[in-house]
Amino acid sequence: MTRLIRTLAIALGAPALALFAATAGAHHSAAQFDFSQRVTIQGVVKEFNVTNPHTAAFVDVTDAKGTRTVQYEGHSASHFFRAGYTRDMVHPGDKIAILIAPRHDGHDGGFIQAFTVNGKTVGFGGLSPETGKPAASGSAEAPPK
Amino acid sequence: MRQPSLPLCKIVLSAVLSLLCAATSAAEPERPDFTGLWTSYREPGQRGASGFGGPRADLPLTAEGKRRMEEYGKLLGPERANPAAYCVDYGVPTMMELPGGYPIEFTQKPSQLTIIYEVENETRRVYIGDRQLPADQRLPSRSGYSAGHWEGSTLVVRTTDLLDGQDQGNHPHSDKAAIEERFSLGKDAKGTTVLSYEAAITDPVYYTAPVKIQRKYEPLKDGFIIPYRCPDEFWYALVEMRRTQLKAGHPVDAHMSDVYKEREAKE
Repeated sequence: MTRLIRTLAIALGAPALALFAATAGAHHSAAQFDFSQRVTIQGVVKEFNVTNPHTAAFVDVTDAKGTRTVQYEGHSASHFFRAGYTRDMVHPGDKIAILIAPRHDGHDGGFIQAFTVNGKTVGFGGLSPETGKPAASGSAEAPPK
Repeated sequence: MRQPSLPLCKIVLSAVLSLLCAATSAAEPERPDFTGLWTSYREPGQRGASGFGGPRADLPLTAEGKRRMEEYGKLLGPERANPAAYCVDYGVPTMMELPGGYPIEFTQKPSQLTIIYEVENETRRVYIGDRQLPADQRLPSRSGYSAGHWEGSTLVVRTTDLLDGQDQGNHPHSDKAAIEERFSLGKDAKGTTVLSYEAAITDPVYYTAPVKIQRKYEPLKDGFIIPYRCPDEFWYALVEMRRTQLKAGHPVDAHMSDVYKEREAKE
């Protein structure tokens, strides 16, 4: 699994810091996602990086808009593992179904609420990516930070 | 005069020692041991609470405190930035509120209580007893300097030497703040061990009266601390970028700013 950087604030020059801030903002704003909505997307995994502070999944999606790679955000690696994720569960080329909280602005992307890959499901808050409804008691969780 | 027999002396001496030990125990109650992994205590039927959010509505703010809080709200920008998103330690007291719902580890020895939050392995050390760092040698930090003493079975901790805590999620404070914390152990109705945490923030810059925090923790069953270090990702990415340059026969001159640019382009 290719490691991708997440976000970091260290002593940097102003331009780099500004760039970094923009990057961090793109990753960590819970406000950009609509957690009252649930959408299931189907696609093929391009990269699946379970990292801290947040996970990034790059998925090739095909729909009426065509085929493109879409980035989805997810909880931290700690939360993924505690939710049942295991190493090497997801590989590039795997078919995946992801239940997301979509973006408010309607653009591609969203926050991962649950996913199913290779017959295994990992959920945050007990939601099924197939139905968008709670598979058990509980409700979807907003990202913790 | 007849001398007492040796066995009789032993019995008398043993009895005296036992009485002395009993008296000592009565004077110094047994210290609780907070060592272990803890998570937020959940009342029956309660889901986990994040503990991270905006400042409480009931804060007794001074005019300056209100001004600083409003200013900080504007500094966050539309993405609502927060320190942890930049891999910066939460600091005190936010760390003690378990933002994000991660576990916290306590390791205790007579002279020190060490508290480690899973996120970024954020660590604070409470020095217990007479051995303390002189005040003029304490470097201010986001977790401050913590001195502890026992009041019965309660560990009382005074935290000072804090850096500015404008970004402390629920309870912003200045570098003039002092925090008194109280740690104690108990049981709930079901017999679950509960670690009670109380804090009172005194800050003449922000508050007209002490601000109180109450939290409860319960043991994390069968849990482990999971490594959480987000800065590492940047270093790996930089090394990988330079490896690519090396293999291509190019100058090995990638910088961290290039890592950020690549990341930005990918998004």
